Amino acid sequence: MLDDFSFFTVDPAADPPLQAEIRALLGKCGLDYEDGIEAFVVCRPQRQVIACGGLESNIVKCVAVDPDYRGESLSLKTLSEAMQLAFERGHSHLFLYTMPENAAFFRGCGFYPLVEVPGYATLMENTPVGIRSYCARLGAQRREGAVIGAIVMNANPFTLGHRYLVSQAAEVCDWLHVFVVAEDASLISYRDRYRLVETGIRDIAKVTLHHGSQYMVSRATFPAYFFKEKGMVGACRTAMDLLLFRNYIAPALGITQRHVGSEPFCATTRKYNKDMIYWLQEAPTGAPAVKVIEIPRSVKQGSPVSASEVRRLLAAGEFERIAALVPPATLELLYDKYRPVGFADG
Amino acid sequence: MKIIKDALAGTLESSDLMVKVSPAADATLDILINSEVNHQFGTRIRQVVEETLARLGITAGLVVIDDKGALDCAIRARVQTAALRGAECKQPDWSTL
Repeated sequence: MLDDFSFFTVDPAADPPLQAEIRALLGKCGLDYEDGIEAFVVCRPQRQVIACGGLESNIVKCVAVDPDYRGESLSLKTLSEAMQLAFERGHSHLFLYTMPENAAFFRGCGFYPLVEVPGYATLMENTPVGIRSYCARLGAQRREGAVIGAIVMNANPFTLGHRYLVSQAAEVCDWLHVFVVAEDASLISYRDRYRLVETGIRDIAKVTLHHGSQYMVSRATFPAYFFKEKGMVGACRTAMDLLLFRNYIAPALGITQRHVGSEPFCATTRKYNKDMIYWLQEAPTGAPAVKVIEIPRSVKQGSPVSASEVRRLLAAGEFERIAALVPPATLELLYDKYRPVGFADG
Repeated sequence: MKIIKDALAGTLESSDLMVKVSPAADATLDILINSEVNHQFGTRIRQVVEETLARLGITAGLVVIDDKGALDCAIRARVQTAALRGAECKQPDWSTL
């Protein structure tokens, strides 16, 4: 009887025995348990979890139904429950990753495909108009020209290196679009990062500064980026983000080039740059290629300027050395707001 | 009345439908219907949704429906619930429903 299959919500961190049962079910279905999941909806009629669906903020993950209980539309019920839970937790715009062969099932649950990496994964969102209306809004800021450039930066925090990159790119483009990664998962808050970029590039001509979005280096499009300090680099995860850029964002703004600083330190960013050349220029998709232009980092005091270096210096409280790498506004903010605990004035 | 916040009603189970409403970007009323029985009943479903929204006086918002073969009465009930939640209407005029 389907009516007996009721669901409840569980925080997997607070209930290790149940978490173990969920792990077992996922294993049985060929899925890995993911650690970031904040809540699961589970169906457990007789001391055994037979269906589950997880949420990590607005991303639906680890949806599974025990093979012995398939054929009773339990999966639809699981998805309904997961979506209700997401709404209750304040997330109405949802994303999910699935294997391309399962995309048709989720298509029947109100999820629409955004991009597919053939043979690997499909990224979907729960609205038919999400990316379309986002691109329409972007399109309103379109500028005409033969060479339209774009830069996507996290600017965590904004350094003289970012400024150098923007000024170099602006010089070779008819117009340049700069995006600041909007996900608030970095040391410096999004508001602060955006404000520092805004102040830092104000005097450079032919540049539009854009707020980032869910569709660009976000937790949904590029989960591995925000966990890079934990050493996790998704093998294929950069592909989703880059294909979204090439297939939707670049055509909306008529972007022909993407500019990026060479990366001497951070393995994740270095891999992202390398993948960029493949997914933006070479991979076969319906969208026109976007040329990737790598600009060598500016060098101060014999070492390349990098935000990760600034964060390292910040943790050590070495403000004098930071001063050589960042504009005054960034230095001031870091000192006022992000000074390490216990760091004495003076 | 306008949809002023995201709201959800219904489920994806057979003979039910899930209705999602959200604020409109440009003060228009947009209805998107995805139904398993679109071929046979697509026109009728849209008619029921439009009538229900009109009775409630909803003039702006985005309404996205995933239908699993629901009857008209279920469609009306789910649309009403989602719309009233999304419009933050605490005192609906029941006589119009």
